[in-house]
Amino acid sequence: MTPSDVPARRRRGPALIALARFQLAGYLRSLRFMQPLIPVLLIVVLVLKEWSNDPRHVDAATGSLGDAAVLTFLIGAWAARSLLDTQPDEQRALSITAAGHPVLSAAAGLLAAYTVALCLGLLLLAAPLLQCLSVGVPPTPMLAGVGLTALVAFSGTALGALTQRAIIPSPGYALPALLCGVTTALLLSLGPLAPLSVPMTGWLRAAHDGPSAFVQAFPGLALHLILWNTALTAVLFFLTRRPR
Amino acid sequence: MRLEHVAFRYRRRAPWVLKDVSLTLTPGQVTEVTGRNGAGKSTLLRLLAGLRAPCRGDITGRPARIGYAPERFPADQPFTAGDYLDHMAAVRGLPATAWRAWADRLGLGRLLQVRLPDLSKGSAQKVGLVQALTAHPGLLVLDEPFAGLDPATRSALPPLLGELARAGSTVVVSDHQRCLEHLPALHRVHVAGGTAVSVETAAPSGAMAVLEVAVAAGEAEALAAELRARGHPVHLRQPAGPRPFGSGENTG
Repeated sequence: MTPSDVPARRRRGPALIALARFQLAGYLRSLRFMQPLIPVLLIVVLVLKEWSNDPRHVDAATGSLGDAAVLTFLIGAWAARSLLDTQPDEQRALSITAAGHPVLSAAAGLLAAYTVALCLGLLLLAAPLLQCLSVGVPPTPMLAGVGLTALVAFSGTALGALTQRAIIPSPGYALPALLCGVTTALLLSLGPLAPLSVPMTGWLRAAHDGPSAFVQAFPGLALHLILWNTALTAVLFFLTRRPR
Repeated sequence: MRLEHVAFRYRRRAPWVLKDVSLTLTPGQVTEVTGRNGAGKSTLLRLLAGLRAPCRGDITGRPARIGYAPERFPADQPFTAGDYLDHMAAVRGLPATAWRAWADRLGLGRLLQVRLPDLSKGSAQKVGLVQALTAHPGLLVLDEPFAGLDPATRSALPPLLGELARAGSTVVVSDHQRCLEHLPALHRVHVAGGTAVSVETAAPSGAMAVLEVAVAAGEAEALAAELRARGHPVHLRQPAGPRPFGSGENTG
């Protein structure tokens, strides 16, 4: 086969998925996934210890769906940065030449990191969902909880991806940047600048107000999160369009 | 592929690594990039491969499929050589068997089940070369590919690169060891003083003269590299004994 025999334009979808699988396989084989998994399992155990079947605890059970989303945001950001930094710098260069474009490589990294964050988020959500089932919370708020976790997992992933080594090469700056990013997002969501941040207080309040309030607030929260996720992804792709 | 007035530095206010590089690289040609350590060869190769964007100037006509092998293959990855090459082939949209012929040609076949961190430097280098060649690239960029290779692979690689060039690839190789000098129609680019210039290869026809030069042992390699970059064949040897100058020390 000569260069002219190979089609010049490859389909980007399969390259994206293959590169995401490669990064995911590297992360799993390196066992770095244990770092976020251990605290997640500890949290699940703590939640199970506080288990209640009392039907009067419907509001508390719905509230735990919101609490799980907060933890998903924090752990998702941490896991994303950990996954994206598993790949050595020279391998990132090889992946970019193989994928054909730096943004495609960044998108694959984001996809792999989101997969991990989503799995961790669903693991965190499993105990609150079981608790909701046992106290008789209707299915709609539980579905809203799953949707919220899926969206928040992406928010955390995008924030973690912005502090990866490809963007902030010095670990001395990257980790404080991640902590600052997470703290700023939390603090902003408390005040009048809440529209600029993840709507954390919004979903916590709605979830703790009970199943119907949570379901009512979900579309607005979802729209806010989608906008936030889109903005962060755009910034990420802008910063990675030129390899450094 | 054309570079026009390309300049590059790693950070604002950092010194320029390359200041004004204008070059043309034609398909079907093997280009050897020479220059001293730190002259900017690897930076030039990364610019060619699209792994760095020039701060000034333009790079146009870069082929869509690029194969790149860095000077040091990143062996610190939790894969066997075979698994790694499978993944890289999949990223390029090629079947998992696409790299096997290249692995056989470079003598990597029996190391495919070995984990990358356990490979020797030369074997890891071969993995890097195989992943770059698997693409059947329109542009192949190799940074010091001969370092650490065994003699058999070192002699197998230049004809293989010539083959790729004949099939239409643009091949660019940085090489301190002058392993490519026997390739016909080799295009040489010398990087020095922040720029890169094409060097005319010394014509093999016509009268040749042998010039013997004695230099301090520490300077011999550098002078030899400089003369080679100007297209002269250079033979470097150690002095045979305590003989007076004129009877032959390091000759070039």
